[in-house]
This record gives sequence, C-alpha cells and structure tokens, in this order.
Amino acid sequence: MNPVLAVGPALPFHAPNVEYSDLLPMLIVLGVAVVGVLVEAFMGRRYRFEVQLVLAVAGLLAAFVSVVSLAGTNKVLVGGAVAIDGPALFLQGTILLLATLGVLSSAERSLDTGGVFTSAGSAIPGSEHERLLTATGVVQTEVFPLMMFAIGGMLLFPASNDLLTMFVALEVLSLPLYLLCGLARRRRLLSQEASMKYFLLGAFSSAFFLYGVALLYGYAGTVRLSGIATAVSSNASSESLLLMGTALVAVGLLFKIGAVPFHSWTPDVYQGAPTPITGFMAACTKVAAFGALLRVFYVGVGGMAWDWQPMMWAVAILTMVIGSVVAITQTDVKRMLAYSSIAHAGFVLTGLVATGAVAKSGEILGVSSVLFYLVAYGFTTIGAFALVTVVRDAGGEATHLSQWAGLAQRSPLVAWTFTLFLAAFAGIPLTSGFTGKFAVFSAAIAGDATPLVVVGVVMSAVAAFFYFRVVVLMFFSAPALDGPTVAVPSALTTVTIAMGALVTVVLGVWPSQVLDLAGQASIFVR
Amino acid sequence: MNPMNYVYLSSFLFAIGAAGVLLRRNAIVVFMCVELMLNACNLAFVTFARMQGNLDGQVIAFFVMVVAAAEVVVGLSIIVVIFRTRRSASVDGANLLKY
Amino acid sequence: MTAYVPIIVLGAIALGFAMFSIVAGALTGPRRYNRAKLDAYECGIEPTPQPVGGGRFPVKYYLTAMLFIIFDIEIVFLYPWAVYFDSLRIFGLVEMVLFIATLLVVYAYVWRRGGLDWD
Repeated sequence: MNPVLAVGPALPFHAPNVEYSDLLPMLIVLGVAVVGVLVEAFMGRRYRFEVQLVLAVAGLLAAFVSVVSLAGTNKVLVGGAVAIDGPALFLQGTILLLATLGVLSSAERSLDTGGVFTSAGSAIPGSEHERLLTATGVVQTEVFPLMMFAIGGMLLFPASNDLLTMFVALEVLSLPLYLLCGLARRRRLLSQEASMKYFLLGAFSSAFFLYGVALLYGYAGTVRLSGIATAVSSNASSESLLLMGTALVAVGLLFKIGAVPFHSWTPDVYQGAPTPITGFMAACTKVAAFGALLRVFYVGVGGMAWDWQPMMWAVAILTMVIGSVVAITQTDVKRMLAYSSIAHAGFVLTGLVATGAVAKSGEILGVSSVLFYLVAYGFTTIGAFALVTVVRDAGGEATHLSQWAGLAQRSPLVAWTFTLFLAAFAGIPLTSGFTGKFAVFSAAIAGDATPLVVVGVVMSAVAAFFYFRVVVLMFFSAPALDGPTVAVPSALTTVTIAMGALVTVVLGVWPSQVLDLAGQASIFVR
Repeated sequence: MNPMNYVYLSSFLFAIGAAGVLLRRNAIVVFMCVELMLNACNLAFVTFARMQGNLDGQVIAFFVMVVAAAEVVVGLSIIVVIFRTRRSASVDGANLLKY
Repeated sequence: MTAYVPIIVLGAIALGFAMFSIVAGALTGPRRYNRAKLDAYECGIEPTPQPVGGGRFPVKYYLTAMLFIIFDIEIVFLYPWAVYFDSLRIFGLVEMVLFIATLLVVYAYVWRRGGLDWD
C-alpha cells in the first residue's frame, strides 16, 4: 500500500481564493442564464420572449463592459484554474460582441411567423400537436438561456488554465449547442438529424480530449498547463504518455474548430441547424476553440513545439486543401459556407504553427495574427449567415445555389452585401479577410513555415474561384420565375448584417487599431 | 500489483468504446459506447492519481461523472426526439444531410 | 477499533429502525389484498404479457430517468465538501449554497413546466 494514498481529512487543505471581480464577465453571463431559466419557470408566456431578449442582450453588453474594464489584467485566478490575460480578454471581448449579434439575429421574428425556432422541440414534426402549437404562436424561448450557457462556456474555454477547467468549459459550451441545432422551425427532420450527428460526434471527440487529459495527467502529475510545461522542460517522465496525450487533446480541440480530418460534422450541422445558430456557432465556437488551442499549444506543450509542429503542419495543409476544393462542388449556400469555414480554420492554423515568430516589440506574431483573423472572420461569418436568412421562398430559406441566380435583379443591396462578405472570405484587399490572411501568412513566414504559406496562397486562389462563381451567379444569371424573394427583416437581423459588413470594411481599410490591440494582447500569462 | 496494468485496462476499455461508436448502428448503443470511453478515462485518472501520489485525479473523476451525467441527459433527449419522429434510432436512418 | 464504534452504532440504529418499521407495519396496518398490491413494486412495467422485444417504454420513463440522473449525480460534490468542511469553513458553505441554489433553479423550472407531473 502506497503510504501517500492513506490521506484523509488530516491533510492540510486551503480554500482557494476566488477573485470574483476578475471573473465578472463569466459570472454575469452565467448569472443571466440562470435568471433566464427562472423567467422560463415563473413568467407568463406572453412576455417571456421580450424579457429573455432584453436580459440576454443587456447581460452580454454588461459582460463586454466588464471585459473592457479588466483590460491589462494579467494573472492566474482561482488557485490556478483560470487565467485572465491578454489573449483571454481579447477573445472574451470578441466572443461577447459576436454573441450579441448572434442573439439578435436568433430573435428575428418578422421573417417567419413565430421566429427561427420551433414552437416546441418535443412536438413530433408534421403532427397535429405541432400544428396546434404553431397556430397558437408559442415559441421555445428556452433558446436564450441555452445560448447564454453556451456563451458562458465559450468565455471560460480560452481562459481556462488547467485541462479539467477546459474540459468542463468544452462541455458547457457544447451541450447547449447540441440542443440549439435541433430546434429549427422549418425542415425539422434535417435539424434534428444535425443535432444528433453533432451530439454523437461531439461526445466522441470530447472523450478523446478527456483521455488525452488523463494521459497528460499521468505524465505530469497535474493538469495545470504551467505544471505540464514544467514537466516538459525537465523531461521528467515517460515521453510516450506526453506525445499520446498531446495528440488526443489536439483531436478534441481540432474537432471543435472543424479542422480536417475531424471536420465531417461541420457541413451537415451547419446546413441542418437554424441559420442564425449556424452563424453563432461558426463564429463564436471557432473563436473560443482557437483560444483554447492556442493556450494548450503555447503555454502547456510549447516546450515540445518540435514534436507537435509536423502534425499541425499536416492538419493545416489538409484543412486548407480539402476545405477549399470540396467547397467548389457544393450546391447549397450553407454547405458552401461550412466548407469555407473549414478552409478558414486551416488558414488560422498556419498562424498558429508560427511559434518562433516574435516581433521586436515582444509581440508573439503567431498569437496576435490568429487573434486578429478570428475577429475578422467572426464578423464576416455571422453577417453572411444572417444574410442567408433573408433570401426566402414558400418553404423557408432558399439555400440552394441555383435559387440565388439573378439575385442582384431582385435586390441589389443583398447581392452587393453578400459579394462583400464573399470578397472578405476570399481575401480580396480592402476587406478584413485580406488583412487577416496577410497577418497569419506573414507570421507563418517569420516562423519559418513558408511552405504552408505557399499552400495557403494557392488555396486562397482556389477558394476565390468558388466565391466568384456565386457572385457571377447572382449578378449575371437570369433569375428563375419561381425564384425566392428577398424578405425585409426587422431591425434585429438588419443590425447583424450591417455590423458584419461594417467590421468587414473597417478591418480592411483601417485595421491598425485592432492589429495593435491584438499585438498588445498576444502574451499569455504563465 | 503494478498499477500500470490498470492504465492498460483503461486503454482497452477506451478502444472497445471507440470501436463501438464506429461500428454500432443504434444511436443509444453508440451513446453507451461513448459513456464507456468516458469511464475508461475515469479509470485512467484514478490510476494515475495513485501512481502520482496526489488526489487531483480522483477529484477530476468526480467532475467527469457529473459532466457525463449532463451529457446523458442532453443526448438521451435528442435521441428520444429523433426516435419519436422516425420510429427508429438507427444512425444509418438519419441520412438526409449529405453533399 | 474505537474509531468504528460510531459506525457500528449507526448500523445498529438503522437495522433497528428498519425492523421496527416492518414489524410495526405488519402488526398495526389493515390487511386488504388485491391484485395490484401483489405486483412487483416500483418497477414501472406491468408484469402482464409483453409484446415481442419487450415493448416500448412511454417517453415519461425517460424523462423521469433523466431528471433522476441529473439531480442524483450532483450529490457527488457534497462528499468531498463534507469531508473537508472543517478546513473550508464559511467559504465552502457559501459556495455549496450557491451550487445548491443553482440546482434549485433547475428544479423550479422542471416543476413549473410540468416535468414532475405524470399525466
């Protein structure tokens, strides 16, 4: 019997110090989520929707204000479980702004009677029960607390300083998203199928993540990232545990960002989920998951970059190539955007592998370029998916590409805005996409990953091909007679699209402010 | 007894679970295999806690149990809804989303 | 050995209470048997002829099972807290009250939304 294990209450134990003020953004968001559940429980149906919407938006904005007021904080909290530093705060701010837009566009009710979400997730599609519920105009307002819980998890994910906290954050952000995917009002079979696929594959990948955490714990004797870093540098224990653990943790995180070969869920889920939720997921989840990926690979196992860089190179190349090439064959707008998001994950990974790139100012180029890219990509994506919701026919959203033919004749504004988003995805100068790509590629060159940049540039050209195919389709094809109409959304969706377009242009023309901010925020607390 | 044997056992359990996820067709069974994988992780955590001589791993096992329970609830509700819609919980039946 | 005295006493009290309840119930309660009373208790399923394959459970069972799992498993956090209660003191108490309050919110939601009604 190992004597160390005969521990009992006699072992001295110190209560951790919980710095509530520094955790305020997360506490606000999760607190609002809990209040939202109470509203669901005790408030009458009639006012729930408005109350939930106001609560959610107010909570997100309050949390954003508290993130801004925390700017410059650089410390490890709650006994080492949470790190509030530059990258964490930058990403939390980004997530909160994107999530506000996501909540706004999810609350849209003028495009479809009753809104985006089904009146009751439990009603069987096509049943009399469902028809009755729809007729009474009931709405599943639980989506707002669910989104808030997911956002709370997303805020914790990039800030978690040990792997257990990271796992809990991963689940807190994932579980509500699984449910949200299955709540579409139209095409419910697709939506439910997306939900099940996302759930089964997501649970599968988080099991891999967890086993990786177990192996790293076996290697280092702690799940704290700084402890793992110390163990890596002292090269104390069995290296095979370290390598396998790192690989399995990477599987879990790469799944969340939708990198090849862990991407197969992305197109199905993005297509099946309610479109505003797709935009929310595509933007916010990716931001949060890249934050966690950065922290694990820079803080935790940064000392063995030589070992994991080849793997990341392969994943980045595969992701860029498959995302861009397969996108060409897509005939559905949402699936096309899903493959484009896969390709973008690859572009961001090229910035991530540039561990050695440090500017004279001390700025870690690999981190700062990724941070900037995530802001640029997030706003463009959430705007693009919001735009998809306004092109409609009798059956709901018209997402088949052929239905978008000649859209410019029906609504030049929508066509031009979508062109702007596509140009940003393709990385055309004067859009945020160009600045972001420039940032990650120059970081990769500075970090001696030039071959990746070559692949990236070639794949950007391939991607530009299919984006411009859509532009040509919208502007130079004759519209079908029974084609979709462009519905006029309420202010909620309009604000989302306008903010997406505005940030896309501003970060393309005057990116220096945000670039500077990302540069200042590029250093992790250890 | 060498505690490393428990780590091997946990990796076998994990592999059995992973194989089940990939091979089985019923969503509930797939889901049970995921739970087996999580429990394999727990066994590994507890074993490593003993080998390392600290209690972190045992505490983590608590958290994993709770997270797994939450996952059961969410997953079961999704699968039950799918079953009520389609009268089947086959993973192959859910094939509307492709290309 | 003295460390185990409280446990033995507790076991004896538990045993005594169980025996007292059974004996007292058998002696004082009225006896009116019918079919339902002779069925298996709390198993949920009628022991009458079942369709091939065991038949299907009403969704209600899943709902109850899920509620049970989620509330039951949270107890796991109470054990370490109880063990270290002395050194955690007021901090531990406050955190645990917050934790239980959050669960109570969920309970309120389930109750108000009819998750606890069988029909």
